Order: sequence, then C-alpha cells, then structure tokens
Amino acid sequence: MRIDPNMVPNMLAAIQQSQVSLNTALQQVATGKSVNVPPDSPAAAADMVQNTIETANVDQYTQNIGSVTSLVQTADSALSSVVTSLTQAISLGTEGANGTNSAANQQAIATQVQGLLSSVVSQANLSYQGAYLFGGTASTTTPYTADSSSPTGYTYNGNNDVNSVQIGDNTSVQVNLPGSQIFSNSSANVLGSLTSLVSALQSGNTAAIGTATNAVSAALNYVSQQRVVYGNAETQLNSQETYLQQETVNLASQENSLIGVDEATAATNLSQAETDNSAALAAAAKVLPNTLLSYLAPPS
Amino acid sequence: MGGLNTSLLIGMQALDATQGALDATSNNIANANTPGYTREVAQFSETPETVSSGEVSGGGVSLDGLQSIRDELLNLQIQQQTSQQSSADTQSSTLQQIQSAFSTSSGDDLASMMSAFSSSLSQLSASPTSSAAQQGVLSAGQNLAGAFQSTANALTSAQTYADGQVTQTVAQINSLTSQIAQLNGQLTQTATASNGGGTIEDQRDELVQQLSALTGISVTQTNEGETITTGNGTPLVMGGQAFTLQTTTGSDGMAQVLDSNGNNVTASIQGGTLGGAIQVRDQTIPGFLTQLNTLASQFATAFNAAQAQGFDSNGNAGQDFFSVPANTADAASGITVAISNPALIAVSSDGSAGSNGNIANLSAALTNALPSGQTPASSYANLVFQVGTAESNASAQSTAIGLNLQQLTTQQGSISAVSTDEETTNLIRFQTAYEAAARIVSTIQQLNTVTLDMGTSGGY
Repeated sequence: MRIDPNMVPNMLAAIQQSQVSLNTALQQVATGKSVNVPPDSPAAAADMVQNTIETANVDQYTQNIGSVTSLVQTADSALSSVVTSLTQAISLGTEGANGTNSAANQQAIATQVQGLLSSVVSQANLSYQGAYLFGGTASTTTPYTADSSSPTGYTYNGNNDVNSVQIGDNTSVQVNLPGSQIFSNSSANVLGSLTSLVSALQSGNTAAIGTATNAVSAALNYVSQQRVVYGNAETQLNSQETYLQQETVNLASQENSLIGVDEATAATNLSQAETDNSAALAAAAKVLPNTLLSYLAPPS
Repeated sequence: MGGLNTSLLIGMQALDATQGALDATSNNIANANTPGYTREVAQFSETPETVSSGEVSGGGVSLDGLQSIRDELLNLQIQQQTSQQSSADTQSSTLQQIQSAFSTSSGDDLASMMSAFSSSLSQLSASPTSSAAQQGVLSAGQNLAGAFQSTANALTSAQTYADGQVTQTVAQINSLTSQIAQLNGQLTQTATASNGGGTIEDQRDELVQQLSALTGISVTQTNEGETITTGNGTPLVMGGQAFTLQTTTGSDGMAQVLDSNGNNVTASIQGGTLGGAIQVRDQTIPGFLTQLNTLASQFATAFNAAQAQGFDSNGNAGQDFFSVPANTADAASGITVAISNPALIAVSSDGSAGSNGNIANLSAALTNALPSGQTPASSYANLVFQVGTAESNASAQSTAIGLNLQQLTTQQGSISAVSTDEETTNLIRFQTAYEAAARIVSTIQQLNTVTLDMGTSGGY
C-alpha cells in the first residue's frame, strides 16, 4: 500500500501537540495553578466560587472578632471598675454606719461616695469609637443624664435593645448590654442605691445608711452577674477565633486541591514536555530533508 | 509485414508517450505543494498489433492521457469532519472570550465581588455607626452591580462577535459557491471519465473542501457536475448555477440567514463556522445570559426586600438599595445601586442609629435561596460550571475530530499526494525510456542509410 508521502502535516501536528503540552506545563509551574479559566476544570471552577466567598467571609469574621473583642474588653473593664467602685462604696457605707464618726467625717465619707457615684456614671456613659457602650442600640445618645426629678437622680436615655455581631456562618455574639439592665435595673439599681447612700450619709441616719449599704451590696452582686455576659462573649470570641484559623487553613488547602498544582508533579510534567518537544523537533530535523535526491549523483 | 518504417513509427510513438509521462512527472513535481492538487499518472496502452499476411507486428505504445488519482468517498468524509471540527473550533474560540470574566483569578469577577459585598456587610455589623463601614458596603454594592454589568457585557460582546462571523461567513460562502458553479460548468465541457477530472476538478474539490469548513454541506454527483446543498437541503450549487444566501437583520438585532428564495433558514444551519457561530450566538450564550439575568433580578429583589425590613441611619424605613430594570432580560446589564448616600443603608432593626439588627437580613439575602431555588453563590457557581463545560466540550470535540481528520488526511495523502521521491524515480525511469526510444530512432535512421547505400557503394 502506498503511504502518505507528505510527512510535514503530521510532523507539524506532533510538534504543535508537544508545544501545547509544554505551554500547559510552563503555565502551571509559573502560576502554581492548574485551573486558570473555567474550562480547565469546570467543576473545580464552580467549587472555587463558594471557596472564594467562604474565604472572604472567614477573613471578615476574623476581623470582626478583633474589633468586637476590644469592644467587649472595654465594656468588661468598665464594669470591672464599677465593681471596684461599688466595693469601695460598701466599705465606706459600713464605715459610715458604725455611728462613731464625727459629722465632718460623715460628710467626708459622703463626698467620697459621691465621687464614686460620679465615676460609676462616667463608666456608664463610656463610649468606644464614638458609640456609647451602655445605651442599648441608641449608641449616639448619652445614656445617663442627671435629673433631679428622678428618684435615682439620673434618667436613662437609651433603649433596651442589644446588638449581635456575626462571627461565623451560623454564629453570632451579643456585644452589648443595655444600661437599663446593668445600672438602673428595677431590682438592683446601681445608680439609685449609690444616690440613696450619699443622701443617707449626708443626713447621718445610721439605719438609712445600713439599708442603703445593703442595697449597694445587692447591686454589686447583680452587676457581677451581668458581667458574665461579657466574660462569656470573650470566651466565645476566643474559641471562634481558633475555629476560624483552622477554617482558613482548611479553605486554603481546599483551594490548593481544587486549582493548585503539586510542584513536584508540575516540574516533572515540564521536563517531560521539554523532552517530548525536543524529540519531535529532532525527528523532524532528521527526517524531513531526506529525499532520494540527496543520494543521486548530480547530472553530469 | 513490418518494415523499418514500422519500427521508426513505434520509436516515435514511444518518444511521444514518454514525453507525455515526463510532462506528467514534471507537473507533479511542480505542484507538489499546491493545495488540492492530486497527482497525475500517465496512462499508457498498447497500440493494437497489425496482422498482415499472417505476420503479426506490434503496434507500439500510445499515451491515453493523464489520470488524476483521487478517492471521492474519502473527500466526502473529510468534508463532513471538517464541517464538524470547524463548528467546534468556532464555538470554542468564541466561548474562550468569555472565560476570563468567569475566572476567580481575575479578582473582579462576580464571585469576588459577591464575597467583597458579603464581607463589607459583615464589617458593618461590627461597627454599625461607622460611616467608613457604611461607605464600604455602598462601594462593594456598586462593584457588585458593576461585575454583573461587565459579565453581561462579556457575554453580549461574544454574541456580537459570533453575529459578525455569521455575516462574514455568508459572504465567503457566496463567493465560494459562485466559483464552484463556474468550475462545474467548465467540467461538464471538458471532463471525461477517464482522466478523473484533472486540474479543474482538483480546484473544485479544494473549493468544496473550503466550503465545508464554512458550513455543513451535502454533495451529490449529477450529470451536470456536483449538486451542493446545506445539510438541511437548502441548495447552494446546482450544476453551473449558484444560489446565493443572504443576510438580514432580525427582530433581535442579529443577522438572519435567508436562502435564495428569501426563506429564513438560520435555525436549520448546522456545522462549519456558520453553524458554530449560530449555535453559540442563538443557543449557548443566550442560555448563560438568561441565568445571569435571573440571578441579578432575583438577588436585587431579595436584597431590596431585606432593606425594606429595616431602618436607615436617619430612622426612616429602608428604601431600595439596587435598581434593576423591570424587564428581566436587561437585569444584569442594567443593575445599578439606587442610593448614593451610605446613611440610607438599612442597618437598624429598631430605628435607632446604633442598631445592627437588620444586617442579618441583608446578609441573609446573599446566603438564602432565591426563588430559583438556589443561593446566589450556588446559582453563580452553576453558571461558571456550565460556561466552563461548554468551552471544554467544544475544544475536546475539536481535538477528537482533529485526530480523526488527521487520519483521513493521511489516507487521502497516501492516495493523492505527490511523493517527490516517487517522481524522482519516475523521472529516471522515463529518462531511460526516452533515451531508449531515441536510440530506436537513431538506429533505424542508420539502418535506413545503410539500406539506401546498398545500391551505390556495393555495401560491405
């Protein structure tokens, strides 16, 4: 049977084929990716859509945890200093109630407690990055303002709402407690009990001082209980941060297995493609110039 | 009985025949690289012997002509495969243009913008009163709308490219069919069954081959030459007459193909550049566009509904965040962000500025299932999968047909292609034959001289 005398098209096809492999191998080594456009692997490209979104979300959750953690810590340390103030107030109240103080000393104690009250109010009106921490969601209004008509001496201007921040696809953390729940709760009113203690000390009524001191004590217990919310939030934030770090690693490894290349394989493929390409070129160079004419003597 | 003159005659015939064979050989060598050329072989036959007075003498050789060596059936197969490959190539190259718009590595594709929008909302939830975070959501929303637009634009510009190919290809088809018709006319005058059509048929086969790359065709041999129709039967060439295709702009602004009677045959054309371009323009890309538009429209509606559930920073009920054309077909290309003031984002669930309660609803618009039954992300991922598969299928098809075609072309080459080695061998063969025939003539001439000299010089 006659064979196709024209070897050029087949040779060219072989050379082109080896160049395509060479380009692919080179691109994979250079980019470190096996999927650069969707047709390289439609399924991997589709999975990458979800991976991209997840990765961005996890990054953002991690950032949220950073900013929420400092918010929660600020609020917690504010409550911590409130607890300190209340403890001091209780010991001052106990001292004022023992009936051995001079009137001047009694007034001095009252002034000290008044100072503690102001400090508690300033903690209650603490703001973080321009937003009041204890005003519920009304974070732009000063939560507590002095009001002589109020029995507690202060009016609450905030609301009773709380904010939650998403720190995971299905996880969110409560980041604030409204002041109405901490400082002016009806059952254990921090500001009210301190105000009563100040007026009891000023009046010198030992029994009233005792009652007021007990009320401050109750308020202290209550505030300590409420602080647990922030403590829990911090614990939750820490554990979620650890989880998200793991998730970041998982997503990165998923991305790598979807569209990445194994460097050793890629390097092997590249050198294989180089060898194939050289072989195709060498074969063409050897075979193509060979014709019968090379062996015929030139016409004499 | 034979005489010297008979031998001289035979010698002359041999010279003539060998001369013809040498012509054929040199023509083969000259056209070794001419596309469509099929090698020609000189056909010799014995001239009938003469019987005179019981004596038989050979009649010499005669050159019957030059036979083109070709296999019509193989040509038909090659034409069919060429049509299919060319269709797959056209689809593949058009679809390649849209791939980068769907690749996450670009960083400005829909998936990246969706994720940026999602994380901007998440950031806002951590600091609901921060105007920087609000501005971040607004910008990410604008980028997302921009990504919808640019993805839609990438699809429509590929569609326009395919549309341009339709018009261009129809013009090329018409030019080829008129040339083929002309050659058909010449062939019926000159062709004889014996010579295989010769160079005119070579030219025509080459043109038909080119035509098959442009559209799927069906070729039948008739007394008046070849009849060529599209795969669906629309006549292109009948004997010496060409039927021109026309294009007209359809109601959707795309070129429609009309046959010579003005009937719209667009939908029935398959194969070749024309079939591939029509397929990708009228089927593949519109399918992608519909999905993208549905996604844009449903997502915008869901997000606006979430906005309406909350209150903006001024305590007013949330207004539409995205503005999307009422006609779903324009949704992706026409989606924009409706608000320009970041304070209008409905962050709050209770009306106070510090609340972030409604962000959960806004984020849910990105993660909850749309009326289509899929979340925006999975709906888009599905589209990416289809876009990728369409291109990889087309190029895989092209590669597979390419291998088949290479096989067929090799087979065709083994029958019809010129081998310079073979022709060189023939050259030597016919050179020797010519020298031998010339020797006959000179020998007879010498013998004639000897015979004539017999009377005068007394001979030997």
